[in-house]
Amino acid sequence: MPDLNPTQYAVPLFVVAVLAEMIWAKFRAPEAYEPKDTLVSLAFGLGSTVAGALLGGFALTLFIRAYEYRIFDFGPEWWAVWWAWPLCFVLDDLKYYWVHRAGHRIRWMWASHVNHHSSQHYNLSTALRQTWTGTFTFGFLFAVPLVLMGFHPAMIAICGGFNLIYQFWIHTEAIKRMPRWFEAVMNTPSHHRVHHATNPRYLDTNYAGVFIVWDRMFGTFTPEVNDEKIRYGIVKQLGSFNLLWSVFHEWIGMLTDIWRAPWKHKLAYLLREPGWSHDGSRETSDMIRRRWQARVGTVPPQPASVADRNPIAGAQEAA
Amino acid sequence: MDLLFQTAGSLVAILALVGLAWWLKLGGAPLLNSDEAVRRAAGEVEDGFDPAVIARDREGLAAIARDVQGRHMVIKRHGNRFAGRVLDKTAAATLNIDLGETLLVVRTGQPLFGDITLAIDEPKAWVSAINGVKTPQDA
Repeated sequence: MPDLNPTQYAVPLFVVAVLAEMIWAKFRAPEAYEPKDTLVSLAFGLGSTVAGALLGGFALTLFIRAYEYRIFDFGPEWWAVWWAWPLCFVLDDLKYYWVHRAGHRIRWMWASHVNHHSSQHYNLSTALRQTWTGTFTFGFLFAVPLVLMGFHPAMIAICGGFNLIYQFWIHTEAIKRMPRWFEAVMNTPSHHRVHHATNPRYLDTNYAGVFIVWDRMFGTFTPEVNDEKIRYGIVKQLGSFNLLWSVFHEWIGMLTDIWRAPWKHKLAYLLREPGWSHDGSRETSDMIRRRWQARVGTVPPQPASVADRNPIAGAQEAA
Repeated sequence: MDLLFQTAGSLVAILALVGLAWWLKLGGAPLLNSDEAVRRAAGEVEDGFDPAVIARDREGLAAIARDVQGRHMVIKRHGNRFAGRVLDKTAAATLNIDLGETLLVVRTGQPLFGDITLAIDEPKAWVSAINGVKTPQDA
């Protein structure tokens, strides 16, 4: 059985790449980095590694159990079945698309995933701004179908590791566009800048990990436009470099909302989309986009509302 | 033990990279030194927020704005970006005298966002306006 954690081996590459981007920034875009922001991003990365090592055993145990009930069996030397690797990689990326989409459309999941979006900068250090609290969501359940299909948990973990490594390089403003064929199929810096943007036209789009085709297939793709400056981060910027606040702020906000809400709305604060409120006093990304559309009077370059076709969030209007 | 070594190694790399960012003088210090800059920042805080009245801190580090609906927004420099809040009923404003100058202090009601201190003209008028906010709808 292969014993490989690809992200662990990629860390030196990450460090060298961040260093190279800093040198690029020095000459081309000094504002692309902010040392305090970089410190928080890198501390996030370190903390997430530690959290994964300490808490990841729970999901692994679940997967090992589920593997006993697999439908297909690749045999005792499953790692030698060469075609299973690319197949697993593609299916794992499809899984990533959906878990990522859920991460933006279900507040419980967003409480964890928001960490990755909490920087107002978009550079390679932002890629390392990974969550510490993923174990406390149900995101790992999205991998169970793969396990039941017969892919060994270690194979899925390795494919997931390479997926994460791929996503590192797309967190940059140094690369404008890749060749057209590449932009059509693969996730790129351009596509992922859109995903990290808070501009209303871009909110909750481009969930892809490696293959942007999933967004094109499921109606969540939005291209980057050239004449609008991208603003990065979250709708309500933290305005703080406090690491622990950055990690836990949405958990605190969500639990506070649940505590204060009338009983019949408590579950909705857990499962509805971020920004939803039972009294309509806040705005979801769909509401922000509609308000923007009404203000500027334009039709966006995609279906009127991505989320209207999103089965995860359910009804779109605030109650 | 491996985890401990990896963590220690990563910590060294983090400090080295952040130190490099400082040494390279990356970042910059943008200012809210014109009404146009405030308008742009306000639009980033809330899409469509259109300031009707603006007061800029004399050093350009912060600003406060009111739109035609009477809503107030406070904006501060955060690193080399700007962050702001539309004030609601949890917000409050006071005056603080420092070196003979009367400063406006805006408390957003969100401790980790911090209090914003502004050296502006007519701070008393802003105190009255901000403390008059009763509900988010009234804001």
